[in-house]
Amino acid sequence: MKLSPGQRRRTSQASRIAERRRLVAMTGAAAALAVLAGACIVIALAVRRPAASSAAQPSLRVAYSPESQALLGELLAEFNKTHPKSSSGKAIQIELVPTWPDQMARSAVAGEVQAVCPDSSIWLGDIDAAWSEQAGNTGPLVGETVRFAISPVVIAMRQEVAGSLGYPGKRIGWTDIIDRARSDSQFSWSHPSTSSASGLLATLAEFYAGAGKTRGLTVEDATAEATLKYVAAVEATVKHYGEGELATVEQQLAGGDQRLDAFVVQEQLVVYYNSRSEDKLVAVYPAEGTLWEDHPLALLELPGLSPEAREAFAAFAAFLKGDQAQAIVLHQGYRPADLSIPLDSQGSPLVAANGVDPRQPETVLQVPSSAVINVVRDVWWYTKRHTNVILVADTSGSMDGSKLEAARQALAAFLDSIKGDQERVGLVEFSTSIVRVIPLAELSQNRQALQVAIQDMEAGGDTALLDAVSNAYSQLQELGDQERINAIVVMTDGRENASRTRLSQLVTRIKDGNSRGVPIVIFCIAYGHDADRNVLSTIAKASGGQVRGGDVGSIQDLYKIISTYF
Amino acid sequence: MNRTRLVFVAVILLAIGIVGASYALRGAGGQPLEPQKQQKIEVRVACALPVEPWVRQAADKFNAEGHKQDGAPITVQVIAVDGLTARSRFERGDFDPLPTVWIPDSRYLVELANLTLRQKQGRDVFLTDGEYRARPIAVSLFAWGIYSSRAKVLQAKYGTINWRTIHDAAIAKGGWPELGGQASWGYFKLVVPNPRRNVGGLAAMVAAAGEYYGKTRIGVDDVTNPQFQAWLGELMGAVTDFSSLSAYSAEDLALFGYSMGDGGQLLESDLLTHMAGIQARWQEPMLIIYPDYITWFDFPFTIWMGPETTAAEKNAALQFEQYLLTPDVQRQAVMQGLRPVNSDVSLDLPDSPFTKWKDQGILQVVPRSSAMRSPDRDTLDALLRWFDLNVMQR
Repeated sequence: MKLSPGQRRRTSQASRIAERRRLVAMTGAAAALAVLAGACIVIALAVRRPAASSAAQPSLRVAYSPESQALLGELLAEFNKTHPKSSSGKAIQIELVPTWPDQMARSAVAGEVQAVCPDSSIWLGDIDAAWSEQAGNTGPLVGETVRFAISPVVIAMRQEVAGSLGYPGKRIGWTDIIDRARSDSQFSWSHPSTSSASGLLATLAEFYAGAGKTRGLTVEDATAEATLKYVAAVEATVKHYGEGELATVEQQLAGGDQRLDAFVVQEQLVVYYNSRSEDKLVAVYPAEGTLWEDHPLALLELPGLSPEAREAFAAFAAFLKGDQAQAIVLHQGYRPADLSIPLDSQGSPLVAANGVDPRQPETVLQVPSSAVINVVRDVWWYTKRHTNVILVADTSGSMDGSKLEAARQALAAFLDSIKGDQERVGLVEFSTSIVRVIPLAELSQNRQALQVAIQDMEAGGDTALLDAVSNAYSQLQELGDQERINAIVVMTDGRENASRTRLSQLVTRIKDGNSRGVPIVIFCIAYGHDADRNVLSTIAKASGGQVRGGDVGSIQDLYKIISTYF
Repeated sequence: MNRTRLVFVAVILLAIGIVGASYALRGAGGQPLEPQKQQKIEVRVACALPVEPWVRQAADKFNAEGHKQDGAPITVQVIAVDGLTARSRFERGDFDPLPTVWIPDSRYLVELANLTLRQKQGRDVFLTDGEYRARPIAVSLFAWGIYSSRAKVLQAKYGTINWRTIHDAAIAKGGWPELGGQASWGYFKLVVPNPRRNVGGLAAMVAAAGEYYGKTRIGVDDVTNPQFQAWLGELMGAVTDFSSLSAYSAEDLALFGYSMGDGGQLLESDLLTHMAGIQARWQEPMLIIYPDYITWFDFPFTIWMGPETTAAEKNAALQFEQYLLTPDVQRQAVMQGLRPVNSDVSLDLPDSPFTKWKDQGILQVVPRSSAMRSPDRDTLDALLRWFDLNVMQR
């Protein structure tokens, strides 16, 4: 059929229109599909988002004693390698939160963690007591508990010192240590504060000895005047306290002037020390009895505890009791909870060559009730060896801003950490000049003034670091107090540029003063990257002290740690 | 853009749309298009600690064998929980989800729970007769487990070991040297489970009361008698540490050895489970001595009869109960130190702990003795209150 030109034009026009319509329709459909697909993707992403964020949430948060970091860290790493999953297929994630045992009750009742792993079960009673106080009679908070590693508390002693006390022929006890410390001024010993099980045990042992008992210690015994006098006399012989047993062992390994003849730690740390040192320690299992650090992992039966948390706990607990974990436990010098593992198996570090005896201890001290333990901990602040400590704070111009604000908070936290009002604290600020802001006095008299002065600190001027240390050192030497621990805590963020005192003069003065006069230990905090660490190290070393590095984020914790030495 | 390209783009977008939609649906909780599977029946068993390893082992095997109820597969899930704790959780309505089955340590805990729950629910939730009644699945009894060196010294001094002689040892001011033992052993140390964590602690106190009074039924008047309380207080004074004691006292005794406890009256099955470990770790076995007044635990298999449990779940639970009573599974119980309730199963199996530890005093037939009766709720509560006030807060 032939079409006329008009028809052809119309047909061609119609076909173009139809083509255009199809194109429009297809474009519209494509656009609609694109919108639909886009919407689907958006919805999919929106639906997925909460899952992604919940995957980032740990299934279980566990507060653990920082002393067990090496063991728990390794065990958790191995656990994670198994890619554990819950019954719903979600990845199990466990977060370890370092918390000193005496702080765990607070974290537990606040619901900040769902499980705890203190160094000893002795703290579990505290948690239940705190829960009972907060929640009333709703049953215990501490639920299922598993043990995976244990270690007895021992007196770690230099081999030659133990020999002089009659070891190994004679059984050595707490009273031998106490008698030696009281009769020999050169005998240097230490125990951690009552924030850890080993420190608490050492303190309990002193209270038992003071009360003339080996069991049945009561509140009346612990607060009797004769007991308190005895404990105070013993504590006066302690060289210094410290941030914990592991830190003490590390300091002993590092050498220096803080060498101790004896210190209280768990058996595992004797193995740890001996495997790294030529100079050997022996673990003395006290004749009167000791305590066990049993590292319990306990689930907290908090209201609304999620099934995921329960599953995570069960999976981790099962892993800790398994063969692989138990082999790690023994390898690190702990006694495994799996009784089928012989302590004298091949490769076991629990051998006489490492200063330990797996057949010991033969007896333990009786653990009093939570009420008596709390009294002992409170009373200890009054019987412990007291301190004269001068805080030397840099307020030069470079401290301006967030640095100074963090320093204020850190100094305030330091004061809060020192609970005993009988401790003496003073404050010296330095920039171009030196200002004795608050004279050294007991906290019962100047705690509030110190708090105000700390908040009023302002930055400006140069850095007369050496003059400031010299000034604080003079104050303590002039006081001449041999009964107390004497210390300076100096913090600076910069380089010395304004002192009259030279470093060599200061070092000579410190060495002479510490040998002829009152021994004063200097803790130095290098605050930020610009602090002159070499100068600070030289000062600290001359006094037998330490240098610690800190920044805005860590300065508060650092001051808290240093407070444990007093 | 030509037509071919447009069609190509449209197909790609369509594909993306379909994938996106399916992804969105799956993300929103929808199920992929698979044939629907038969719903499984879950039997949750709250199980007393002494039988939990055995029941769990049996449950794993039961699950693997693929047992069914009305065509639906049964899954048994075991939750370890001490009898007293479980009782208070039932009473407080604290279990979520509610267990289908409760295996407490002793029948009297079921009776106590029923007493409380009857007030709330208007009827017994655990039955004592009929098809779904509570039935024992294994039994065990309380016996003295004492480190052999210490037991020999006590036997030499007192002739026999019972709560009265243990009390005398506990109050010896001079400790072990006064009793004829070594100075390095310190004072006599008794192991009693913390009754707030382990019903065995309560059983030990009731048994002590039985011997003190020379009778098997103990009441409130007996446990509130000041003379008895003073005597019990002295006895508990020989326990080294209630705070560290876990719910597993025999395990504690094995783990911490004679340093923590010279011995105590504990469940025979727990002692048998740890005999080998004790010997390996401390190079010294325990001696087992049977008391004159014996406390039995009968581990009743008890089904929750409330509306929360469906008929299918109850019947699935019954299937598991029957499974636990089969000779093979009962033999497994014997291997874990429990006494079987199936009379076809003997204790005299090769490698059975009842055979292996004969020389340490284990008896397959318990000597003639008096069985302690289960005390009533008020008596138990009075004992627990006394414990809280006089021992935990001493």
